[in-house]
Amino acid sequence: MTGYDELEPQTPELVRPYVITKGRGLPAEDQLSLITLVTATADHRQRPTRLSPEEQKLLDLCAAGYLSVAEIAGHTQLPLGVVKILLAALTEGGYLITRPPVQRAPLADRDILEEVLNGLRAKFG
Amino acid sequence: MTHYIPDPVAGILLVAVIAAIALVVRQRKAARALRQEIAGLRSHYSELENQYTQSVQAAQERADDATKTVLKSAMRTLQGLAAEQQLIVSRLQTKYGESVILQDLLEIDHTNSQFGRRAQSIAVLCDGWLGRQREVASVYDVVRSAQGRIRHYRRVEILSQVDFGITSRAVEPVALALAELLDNATSYSSPDTVVEINIRTVPKGICIVVDDAGVGMNDEERVRAEKLLSTERVSGVAGLGNPPQFGFAVIGVLAERFGFEVSVDSTSPYGGVRAVLLLPHDLLTSAPEQREPAPVLPAVATTAGLGGPEPALGGTTTADGLPKRRRKRPMAVVPSTPSAAPAPPPAAPAGTSRRSGAESAAIMGAFQRGTQSGRATPAETDMTSSTRGASSEGHEIS
Repeated sequence: MTGYDELEPQTPELVRPYVITKGRGLPAEDQLSLITLVTATADHRQRPTRLSPEEQKLLDLCAAGYLSVAEIAGHTQLPLGVVKILLAALTEGGYLITRPPVQRAPLADRDILEEVLNGLRAKFG
Repeated sequence: MTHYIPDPVAGILLVAVIAAIALVVRQRKAARALRQEIAGLRSHYSELENQYTQSVQAAQERADDATKTVLKSAMRTLQGLAAEQQLIVSRLQTKYGESVILQDLLEIDHTNSQFGRRAQSIAVLCDGWLGRQREVASVYDVVRSAQGRIRHYRRVEILSQVDFGITSRAVEPVALALAELLDNATSYSSPDTVVEINIRTVPKGICIVVDDAGVGMNDEERVRAEKLLSTERVSGVAGLGNPPQFGFAVIGVLAERFGFEVSVDSTSPYGGVRAVLLLPHDLLTSAPEQREPAPVLPAVATTAGLGGPEPALGGTTTADGLPKRRRKRPMAVVPSTPSAAPAPPPAAPAGTSRRSGAESAAIMGAFQRGTQSGRATPAETDMTSSTRGASSEGHEIS
């Protein structure tokens, strides 16, 4: 059993990640962070066939709606940075739109939190 | 009779003539003997010469064989090390995927691939090991693999794709041969030009056409290339010249051994060389599915959903009894329903079907911290904590 299975992890990937990224550099952190949201542009149907299978796959993933960069990377087998590079390139090509993550301020409504806290104190405190 | 005798001069002459005739006869005899001796010597000499040539040839062959054996095993070691390093680099790339180190890791990976290819080429000339057998791969991926093995891979552009795969036996040799062609194409053209690859379906199979915008080959180079590619096989590393030119010799050997054809006798539209690699139908197969085969997913999802002990995929366990991760394990695609998303961490030791309260609490706590950091602005501290989680997840599934 081990003899058979030991063979498998020994084969390195055929296509190396630097070929997949075509040697492009990492995008800036403020351009694409882990929680930047990404979605495909509406006209992704007229996708050119020149895109690599990995890029096609990313577009498929993003076609359904906004996904965070971290999630997208989780669904591929590629290193996170490689996914970022591909996403940045696709964004530049106009196939994807990125949206910065939702800011902290609108999420944490201080008044409500205080009210909840007061309510809890009144009930249990 | 007597009247002859009185003439003493005639008598002397007669004697002299007889003596001369005897002498001539003797000389002739001696000459014949000498001639025979010479002929004997000559044949002996040529025999010796033949023997000498033969023994020199034999010695040379022995020396060649010895060189080949030494190089073969040396290259085998190097190839093994390169492959091992490639695996380590792959692991590092997954581990530090979110870090700026990745850029450097990609470069190390690139250098390592070139190094591996060089060792492979020498091994091919010495009838050595070609590397581990690969799985069936699409023609496009094999071309990209070849692209990654040369220094100037950024200058290579693949302009077309076909829906064909290459049989597992031929993946590595085709990739190596194509890498040598691309190496030639990029080395003998100016650094600001692009090397184009077109993949075409032809009645005989598939053509991979490599066009460069270099200066082309002169007649002498063309003749040498044609010779190496079609008729004259190189054995060993002798006769590769100084500096050694491996390219065509390697391609010729590979083409003969694996049954594909390579020609470089035409000119590219850009004035450089057009190299054509023709893959016959026996080396082709239908295109392989994507690396994450969909049918396997439900199995993983159901076992995850049952919450039972991890079936230790394929029954692999280490000597310590811990479940062993398998590479290329399929992972869940984008969940269509949100319920499928939270899969238990595969690192959980086999045998624990239920989590203890403390474990559940720890997991819930981690989840909460995760969501918090997700909502937070990408402050530096939050980033590290959340990215670490993401990277470890990525590592497990890859």
